[in-house]
Amino acid sequence: MTSTSAPLYEVRNVSKQYGAVVALDNVSMALYPGEVVGLVGDNGAGKSTLVKCLSGAHQPTSGTVLLDGVERHWKSPHDAIEAGIETLYQDSGLAPHLSVSANVFLGREVLKPGILGKLGFLAQKSMDATAYAELERVGIAVPSSRRSVAQLSGGQRQAVAIGRAVTWARKVIILDEPTNHLGARQAGEVLQVIRAAKAEGLGVIFISHTLPHVLDVTDRVVVLRLGKVVRDAPTSEFSADTLLGTITGLIDT
Amino acid sequence: MSTTATPGATVEPGSKSHGRSRLLGIVSNQQVLLLIVWLAMIGLFTALNRIFFSVDVAGNVLLDWGPVVLIALAETFVVVSGGIDLSVGAVIGLSGVVAAYVMQDMTTKGQGQWPTLLVGLVVALAVGAIVGLTNALLINKARLVPFIATLATLGAAGGLSIVLTGGSPIGGGPPNAIELSVPWFGPFSTPVLIVVVIVVLCWLALHKARLGRYTYAIGSNSFAARAAGINVQRHLTKVYVLSGVLSSLAGMFLYLRLGSGAPTSGAGMELDAIAAVVIGGAALSGGVGKVTGTVLGALILTTVTSGLIIIGVAPNWKQVVVAVLIAVAVAVQGFRRNEGASA
Repeated sequence: MTSTSAPLYEVRNVSKQYGAVVALDNVSMALYPGEVVGLVGDNGAGKSTLVKCLSGAHQPTSGTVLLDGVERHWKSPHDAIEAGIETLYQDSGLAPHLSVSANVFLGREVLKPGILGKLGFLAQKSMDATAYAELERVGIAVPSSRRSVAQLSGGQRQAVAIGRAVTWARKVIILDEPTNHLGARQAGEVLQVIRAAKAEGLGVIFISHTLPHVLDVTDRVVVLRLGKVVRDAPTSEFSADTLLGTITGLIDT
Repeated sequence: MSTTATPGATVEPGSKSHGRSRLLGIVSNQQVLLLIVWLAMIGLFTALNRIFFSVDVAGNVLLDWGPVVLIALAETFVVVSGGIDLSVGAVIGLSGVVAAYVMQDMTTKGQGQWPTLLVGLVVALAVGAIVGLTNALLINKARLVPFIATLATLGAAGGLSIVLTGGSPIGGGPPNAIELSVPWFGPFSTPVLIVVVIVVLCWLALHKARLGRYTYAIGSNSFAARAAGINVQRHLTKVYVLSGVLSSLAGMFLYLRLGSGAPTSGAGMELDAIAAVVIGGAALSGGVGKVTGTVLGALILTTVTSGLIIIGVAPNWKQVVVAVLIAVAVAVQGFRRNEGASA
């Protein structure tokens, strides 16, 4: 964590209400370049809501979202993606009927040059090759980028989803439960990809229930409970027990 | 990460006998199966009555096939996007009737055949686009599921056709227009040749262009499509307008064949469209479907209809045969999915 630099991505006093339900209550947190922040909390603590506000899927009821110190109002995920923020949603980030390369390029299709491109024709071969090369670059090997995602194993799918996020993110990557349903070795490889992204200077927000992974890969941990930030501290200040205690409320904050 | 991914490539079933799995792959390809079924049908009908194998019969089958494949193509885009369009048959009737009134008026005023047909075509396309846009608005803004939204427009467009015409066909257009439906290139007539061109354009749009890619993405996982920055509502609007436009082309096709716009000319044809698409291998759950499958599905449907008549089976048996075909097609699809074969 480079505390001297300015925050890359920040929320200030963000609240989100769904009718009478207060999902987020005056939440503030900041993410610095090259930093991995763990976002933890029990079910219903507001993690998913915060992720949706950060990724542009939902708009906060009040409060501000700042990217590079500039206030931003995401109207849709498209806006946040354009600004360099990639989000990996829990379980549902890929279109299973499409190929690996179609998923990597989803929403950013490369068109053929010239008149064919103006008519909307896809440069499929070039996307296949680039997708394969990009996934390899971020440390993910798939059998073939033309294979449909439905034919991949759970671990491979998750790898493709993370690979896509890392490939396109220019500033921030938000990973919602990326190690869910993965075996120990596969999870270890996901953590390796996160470290690589950090080394490239990206900011990573890592949401997980698997506390050993959080303690392993993050620089700082933000603990949410009932929509409020109850602790925001360097990871070194937590042990597995104190982190769990803070999440559940057994340890007063 | 490479160590995670590579084992998946080697534990593929059947990889030890590569040649055998390749052969199975070809046979389990739905398009190849459909082609075999279609050719077998031609063989069977020909064996039962030699007359079946002739240019005349082929010409007739193609004239039946034209409007069916147009609405089936419309349905393919919609079904791949995860929706359904029940209004395709009603659009045939309404677009045909409205275009027929305009063409009748122009002919009475002494306009020539080609300007009249051109204006009629534009009017028909506009009617189709309006119904498609209505479907999209009901789905995107009123948040109706596609089944209900298009059921509503099916009723409205169908009812409107009857109200406008009192139930009778509207003639009085260009008197020689019906001759355009006479085959001149083997079994192909001009409208059928135009349909062939449209089939190719639809194939390009669905399988080679961004329009098709977004359609598959939304049908496969609309959440992922939205998360990837795709404007799902705007794209669905395009899909339903395209569906309406293709259906109105079918309305124009039938106008040229019948020489009039009949309000009931497309009644019940939405079921033919859905049957062709399902036989062609599309899944009503979205994300699956191919233009080649739909084309063969429509060919099989229309071949069965003509064949049964020619071998002297009561036409009502067609429904039974089609029902069996649908059941078999869906069962084969399910079997292939469980086997994990590629689509």
